[in-house]
Amino acid sequence: MIQPIIKTENLCFSYSKSKNDISALDLEVPRGSVYGFLGPNGSGKTTTIRLLLGLLRKQKGSISLFGQPFEENRIDNLARVGALIENPSLYGHLNARENLKIAARYRGGVPKNRIEEVLEIVKLSYVKKKKVKAFSLGMKQRLGLAISLLNKPELLILDEPANGLDPKGIIEMRSLIRELNEQHDTTIFISSHLLSEIEKTCSHVGIIREGKMLFQNTVAALKNSQTGKLVVEIETNDTSSASEIAKELQMNPDIADEQSLNVVINRKDEIPGLIDNLRNRQIAVYQVRIKDNLEELFLSLTEN
Amino acid sequence: MNSLSYFLSSTKNETVKLKRTFAFWLSVIGAFFIPLIYLLYYLLKYEKLIPKEGENPWDSFMTSQITAASPLLIPMFIILVTSLIVQIEHKSLSVKHLFTLPIPKWSVYFGKLFIVLGLVLFTYVLFALLVFIVGYTVGGVHGELQMWEHTPNVSLFVKLLFRSFISVLGIIGLQFWLSFRFKNFIVPLGIGMVLFITGLIVYQAKESIYYPYAYSMLSLFPLDSKDVNAMVWFPRVALYSIGYFLLFSVLGFLDIRRMNIK
Ligand SMILES: Nc1ncnc2c1ncn2[C@@H]1O[C@H](COP(=O)(O)OP(=O)(O)OP(=O)(O)O)[C@@H](O)[C@H]1O
Ligand SMILES: [Mg+2]
Repeated sequence: MIQPIIKTENLCFSYSKSKNDISALDLEVPRGSVYGFLGPNGSGKTTTIRLLLGLLRKQKGSISLFGQPFEENRIDNLARVGALIENPSLYGHLNARENLKIAARYRGGVPKNRIEEVLEIVKLSYVKKKKVKAFSLGMKQRLGLAISLLNKPELLILDEPANGLDPKGIIEMRSLIRELNEQHDTTIFISSHLLSEIEKTCSHVGIIREGKMLFQNTVAALKNSQTGKLVVEIETNDTSSASEIAKELQMNPDIADEQSLNVVINRKDEIPGLIDNLRNRQIAVYQVRIKDNLEELFLSLTEN
Repeated sequence: MNSLSYFLSSTKNETVKLKRTFAFWLSVIGAFFIPLIYLLYYLLKYEKLIPKEGENPWDSFMTSQITAASPLLIPMFIILVTSLIVQIEHKSLSVKHLFTLPIPKWSVYFGKLFIVLGLVLFTYVLFALLVFIVGYTVGGVHGELQMWEHTPNVSLFVKLLFRSFISVLGIIGLQFWLSFRFKNFIVPLGIGMVLFITGLIVYQAKESIYYPYAYSMLSLFPLDSKDVNAMVWFPRVALYSIGYFLLFSVLGFLDIRRMNIK
């Protein structure tokens, strides 16, 4: 097996003595993957990232990046990493270009044209001379991302990168992640509290709650781990009659709200039969949608 | 990269970050403050200030400006400007970024400390130039002041300023550490003010030679004694101040290096 690009064993950390914020975390991020690090608010995603980058000092366990222990190889390892942790670090009194120049000068060896390149990538070229304090939240997030891309990192660590982005920005972020991963072989570690986001972009997933890893595998394996049943949401003009019909068909109906009904089926091809039945009794069908029950799986994993 | 290039790129970045900041303007305003007051003072009250026979008007003009600045304004300026410079990092959430860059942490800490020293030195130099400019200006307006007939004792003046600068190094070391440690601007400022006011109270005691916040006053003590020529570039206070500076800088760095960046 190829060596994982991030590996932690028995990682422990707490901010205060009263509770463990990260306990016995074994993280394994394969090289070349897009790894989604998923967990509800306060579960320890940012804390884990801070530990990985050496901002917090671990209290137990080990961390290795690129197959080397982190502490002994801090500078070498960091040279191959780009990171965006929580809110981006930006000097408000300077403009976008000046902020990038500072980061580039610290790193050393960043070619001059790379600054324009990353501004282009995050679509900020049009405001490169504007002071950052006049940026919107999403623009700041984009600039933070640009800074993390300066060194063409082998490993990109993004903490809730979609934070503050508009829908177009989110779609661009997804395609950027895909492009970096497919064309530049960048491994991407991305934290989020939205499963739908992870599902769309990631090949691997780790689910964390209260500082413990609950599940860690490929996204495909996560999907397979569910039962074969599908939940379908149907919007009609007569929910109660529709519910009766579904009951006759043994589809376990559950009225979600005035217009919609959830039914449980085994296979997709049961859907046309159900619609025929509803239409035969003059019930109007406005919408039929297979519900993403990954979301429910996530909730059931992370709720107790 | 080698150590020198880490340090150079760090200090270069620190100067860029100072652009358009209040910290920078404060250091300019700080240099102008007393010379401007003396400009007005000498322009308006020149009759009282006309030198006696054989007296060099520059002597009192220069030394009184240093004695006006040294005990109060300089330490307060140091405390404020150090906090402000480090605050640039806290305000922009940049410490986490700096400490995840592939550079040694010392280059960040000492690069910034170096710039604090540079900015304070800049203020001293600007102050010195302004004192001369104001001196010749008031002398030009009121010939009776005889500024143009006499030459200023530059070496004495520079020596006094240099000693004043060395005497604040100890506080810079500690204030810089505190400013780095506490995100909240008020903490280093508050601690600094309390320590400094304590200095005002205790500086006449013999033991104040061990108390860096009193050094700005102590550096001028020889002024009171009759033999001004006996003054040296590095009195005991200066050596102690340098000692404290080295101690606090090293302790500060060892502490910051291990600090959890939350
Ligand atoms: N600076 C801090 N001091 C003390 N406790 C903290 C600090 N930051 C986080 N914590 C605690 O550590 C735990 C994990 O927080 P963390 O920020 O890692 O969560 P997260 O998964 O990133 O959440 P979110 O989705 O809201 O970003 C929480 O219980 C939180 O209260
Ligand atoms: Mg977080």
